[in-house]
Amino acid sequence: MKRTNRIFTILIFIFLYIPMAVLIVASFNTGKDITSFDGFTLQQYVRLFRDEKLLRLLGNSVLISVLASGISTMFGTMAAVGIHGLKPKMRKAVMSLTNIPMTNPDIVTGISLSLLFVFIGGKLLGQKESLTFWTLLIAHVTFNLPYVILNVMPKLQQMNPALQDAAMDLGCTPVQAFFKVTLHEIMPGMIAGAIMAFTMSLDDFVISYFVTGSDFMTLPVKIYSETKKPIQPKIYAMFTLLFLLILVLMITMNLIQIRGEQNKHKRRATADSKYARLAKRIGAFALAAVLVLGVGLLIFQGRSSTVTLNVYNWGQNIADGSDETMDIIAEFEKRYPDIKVNYITYASNEELYSKLSTGGITVDVIIPSDYMIARLKNEGMLEELNFENIPNYALVDDSFKNQHFDPENKYSVPYTWGTVGILYNTKYVAEEDVTGWDLLWNKKYTDKILMFDNSRDAFGIAQFLLGYSINTTDKTQLQACADKLKEQKPILQQYVMDQVYDLMENEVAWIAPYYAGDCMAMMQNNEDLAFYLPVDQGFNFFIDSMCIPTCCQEKDAAELFINFMCDPEISGANMDYIWYGSPVSEAKQHMDPVLAESDVVYPDQTVLDNGTSFAFLPEEISRYMETLFMQVRNS
Amino acid sequence: MKKNNSLLLSTPYILWMLVFTLIPLGVVAYYALTDPNTGVFTFSNITQLQLYLPVLGQSIWYSLISALICLVLGYPVAYFIAHQKPVAQKILYMLVMLPMCMSFLLRTLAWVGLLQDTGIINNLLSAIGLPRLQLIRTPAAVILGMVYNYLPYMILPLYAVIVKIDKRLIEAAEDLGCTPVKVFTKVVLPLSVPGILSGVTMVFVPAVSTFYISQKLGGIDTVLIGDAIERLFKQANNPNLGAALSLVLMALVFICTGIMNRFGSDEEGGVIV
Amino acid sequence: MSKELIRLQDLVMEFDGEQILDGINLTINDHEFLTLLGPSGCGKTTTLRIIGGFLNPTSGDVFFDGKRINDVPPYDRQINTVFQRYALFPHLDVYDNIAFGLKVAKLPKAQIHERVQEMLAVVGLKGYENRRTDSLSGGQQQRVAIARALVNRPKVLLLDEPLAALDLRLRKDMQNELKRIQQAMGITFVYVTHDQEEALSMSDTVIVMDKGRIQQIGKPEDIYNEPQNAFVADFIGESNILDGVMLADYKVKFFGRTFKCLDAGFAPNEPVDVVIRPEDIDFVPPEEGHLTGTVTSVTFKGLNYDIIVDFKGFKWLIQTTDHQAVGSTVGIRLNPEDIHIMHKSEYSGMFGDYSSYSAEYDELTEDADDEEE
Repeated sequence: MKRTNRIFTILIFIFLYIPMAVLIVASFNTGKDITSFDGFTLQQYVRLFRDEKLLRLLGNSVLISVLASGISTMFGTMAAVGIHGLKPKMRKAVMSLTNIPMTNPDIVTGISLSLLFVFIGGKLLGQKESLTFWTLLIAHVTFNLPYVILNVMPKLQQMNPALQDAAMDLGCTPVQAFFKVTLHEIMPGMIAGAIMAFTMSLDDFVISYFVTGSDFMTLPVKIYSETKKPIQPKIYAMFTLLFLLILVLMITMNLIQIRGEQNKHKRRATADSKYARLAKRIGAFALAAVLVLGVGLLIFQGRSSTVTLNVYNWGQNIADGSDETMDIIAEFEKRYPDIKVNYITYASNEELYSKLSTGGITVDVIIPSDYMIARLKNEGMLEELNFENIPNYALVDDSFKNQHFDPENKYSVPYTWGTVGILYNTKYVAEEDVTGWDLLWNKKYTDKILMFDNSRDAFGIAQFLLGYSINTTDKTQLQACADKLKEQKPILQQYVMDQVYDLMENEVAWIAPYYAGDCMAMMQNNEDLAFYLPVDQGFNFFIDSMCIPTCCQEKDAAELFINFMCDPEISGANMDYIWYGSPVSEAKQHMDPVLAESDVVYPDQTVLDNGTSFAFLPEEISRYMETLFMQVRNS
Repeated sequence: MKKNNSLLLSTPYILWMLVFTLIPLGVVAYYALTDPNTGVFTFSNITQLQLYLPVLGQSIWYSLISALICLVLGYPVAYFIAHQKPVAQKILYMLVMLPMCMSFLLRTLAWVGLLQDTGIINNLLSAIGLPRLQLIRTPAAVILGMVYNYLPYMILPLYAVIVKIDKRLIEAAEDLGCTPVKVFTKVVLPLSVPGILSGVTMVFVPAVSTFYISQKLGGIDTVLIGDAIERLFKQANNPNLGAALSLVLMALVFICTGIMNRFGSDEEGGVIV
Repeated sequence: MSKELIRLQDLVMEFDGEQILDGINLTINDHEFLTLLGPSGCGKTTTLRIIGGFLNPTSGDVFFDGKRINDVPPYDRQINTVFQRYALFPHLDVYDNIAFGLKVAKLPKAQIHERVQEMLAVVGLKGYENRRTDSLSGGQQQRVAIARALVNRPKVLLLDEPLAALDLRLRKDMQNELKRIQQAMGITFVYVTHDQEEALSMSDTVIVMDKGRIQQIGKPEDIYNEPQNAFVADFIGESNILDGVMLADYKVKFFGRTFKCLDAGFAPNEPVDVVIRPEDIDFVPPEEGHLTGTVTSVTFKGLNYDIIVDFKGFKWLIQTTDHQAVGSTVGIRLNPEDIHIMHKSEYSGMFGDYSSYSAEYDELTEDADDEEE
């Protein structure tokens, strides 16, 4: 019985540690893929320490954790002492208040705080930017406080209340008595609370995800947003180092504890208690130093004399220096040393819209898609551009000008463009089946078909298939589309967005509708993949353009940036990474010939003429569409 | 004098918690009861919620299964740890806690790498000549992810309770003629009920509201309520409906913890990790 | 005697509507060893904490050296306390515990050292400076607590059940030790205990308290010999308490007989409580006795026998060195000096009947008293 239990426990520990072992092994892998070990290398660690951006994100995470755990430890200890002295009834009430963030699901806490900040900051105070570093800090302090209090309270309850009386009896004021006596008694609880708060903060993703603004991003939020390409192995290297760090921390803590207990049993403890005191002093000093450092860093960051330009772009939608591409942001900062770019990302046009419209953030450059530009323009959320500052606009092809969303070319400068088509694997999909959007409904390929996980693109496909306009506002037509999508659901493998990369490249799925540029990128990694554009049925043609929102603080710098992005050399280099089409023809000379000559990315103009772009739908219709899509997904 | 000090010290905290936990819930309720377009009072968000009933049911079902599996897996481990020498207990306790301190996202991604169709497990299977299995994109994978991520939340409170069971009680039961099995069912198990309840709550609550695990490990039919809420906020731009759904989730969780508390003796603070 | 040092005037204390102290009036003189004695919940510790400054009375005043000190916080009072279970600082060693008050007062190091050494000598703990307090025995911890308080040279030392946690032998030794220290230091001790023996053997003055009121103030001998009501009579030692009627001065009637006594000053035919101490009763042959009864139980107590005798259905406790067989008929004689008369009080009829006597009775009550407050 005992033996089986031992074996069982060992098995459970293996279960708990296997995924971490996988990540640690991956950090020494020469290849990028977590699933196959190609050879041993330490290169990932070198890359990690060379990657300033990644280190800055890590620094951000550490900074917020240190500040939040430090503040909540002090604040929480103070509160615990106060609560401890309250009458039982009151104490119980306060403790149930304390339990709210503990019992409430993280997602609800995150949402409620973000709504609060947006509501107070945006609606009541009229702030332009209601989600900032400070709101993130407040959120972290709020969910850390209960951990501190629940660790300190038991220590206060265990403490002999006469100790404090004794100190006062011997001449201490209440404050002195606290520092000379009570503090020593509750210190273990404070330390445990602080450590717990720190790790919770460091690893928190859900709450930060909802509360993060534009000026400050933590590592987990960044990792979550990077779904298009596989996680870079240097992140595994970072994981390994953090694992070691926490392991060492925990072992030292345990050793100190075990030692302390042994000392209690020994009678002579003079030297050890001196050591313990020294250790405590060093600990306190270290805590203070880290806090000062944190605040200092913060002030330093805030006080940099250069202009900070906030660029808000789609995730992984700019060349960042990985895979031998150009680091566009670094290049820009090199060319304009006075400007520091703060680059942040969104996952969808809707997220961009909701962040902007609720006043969650302030940004200087945004890159929405066509229909969203129309909406932002209609709602007066875009600044007119000063084209004198954007001479490179002249290099943009005329075919991308005078679009329906900006007929007078006042608000937008094209960034990329593309089409939506079908990516399929020629190994498994018979050529004769590739006739149109119907392919996505072909039962022959049941469980190998992927579909868009966003309502507009998914309905678009159904609309092309049924011959409706993709900008229809007719609810019966939309209902028909929903029925069509419901019909498709049983044969689908998955609704996806960026997971499509993984599934298609690894041949888990065979057919998927997606954006041409991304398809092109996937085709580079698996030569059996092919792209098909249902020219006859119609397809979506989209343009993502750079705009300046009204909340912009640095318009001149923003226009400099827009101009810079239209530079053929830069635009070309950028496309090498994102694989979309450049609106600047001249850029073709500066990009990978495979891309420049591809008819996936650059189809003939005659083909393009069959494309339709999305127009702005009234809010009511887009909500209706979303509800229908939810019904499809839940059916 | 003393009372005034207590009030003085606790008031800032009470205010803080009111402003940043209670009032936000009020704001959520406000959003849930207003129209997304016009901002006027409406029940339409609430009536739309029926669309999400299957999702809600599925979330509860998966989380309950996960909590039960965690209990079955976690109990023997907690029992084993509680019966080691003190130093070994400390080390094992630390080993249970350590995964909780590491990145939740990356650890879940590691499972993706393990379970994928071309992942580590399937590669091993095909290397020894066995057929590949459909592991990922199944309900089982989502439940596995939940069990893996929240198992420590089960083990730690169970351990805390089991380790406190007075060894003399076991001796007394043996003295009164109990076989080892009976000692366990009649003494140890009833005494660990508070730990079981707190463990089940601590697994159930994060599991029922998760959205990352189901996105990464789930398939086309494993949409959970957390996914739906995230989607409404981040993609559908409908915070009002999202707020209404959050309220439902919150109510669900508070009802669950309320039931748990009723069953268990409601000690102040309860068992904390 | 010597001059007044502390005066408590009409102290009333309420906690959540519960009356803890109900009008305490008390004077404590300089150099006095005064004991507050009473069962748990009688308000003795509350009174001590009010003197120490840890509690503020709901109403009433505390005077120290003639000045009202109600609003003076504990750290500004020339009073120090030895706490229940000592309350030594666990994070400090013996030396630092004793030096604590002096360090707070920011005395020069050399002076602190000198005074700590002096105190260590007084309490007999030289050589223990660097020991951790949790490595000391109970008696040693007790001495540290006393030294820690006395090193500040207070005018008054408050001791809250200081010996409660010690075993019986150590308690006896410490009683002598405390008395010695009090005389050596020449300061006032205010001592709280529920142990009547401790109170009687150490104090100059004993204050018996119950239900938040002072029941009797007096020298130990007076308290024992002349209890003022049934509560005091029962609490201090063992007593048989009977209903009687004071026929006239020096004449009391109970059990249907008239006895001579030494008490006077009662109203004619006033109903009274009659106290007869168990050790004052002598057995005589039944035919010679004022009263005759049947022995119902005999317990050997070492020094004496505890014998329960049934007199017409009322059971008396008699302590004697003569053995009597259970079931035998005995007679007793009561001399006038054995009979003590008290006015009727709220406690009448509650004490002094040994019908439910058991040998463990004393121990049980003592255990319960340990959990004071």
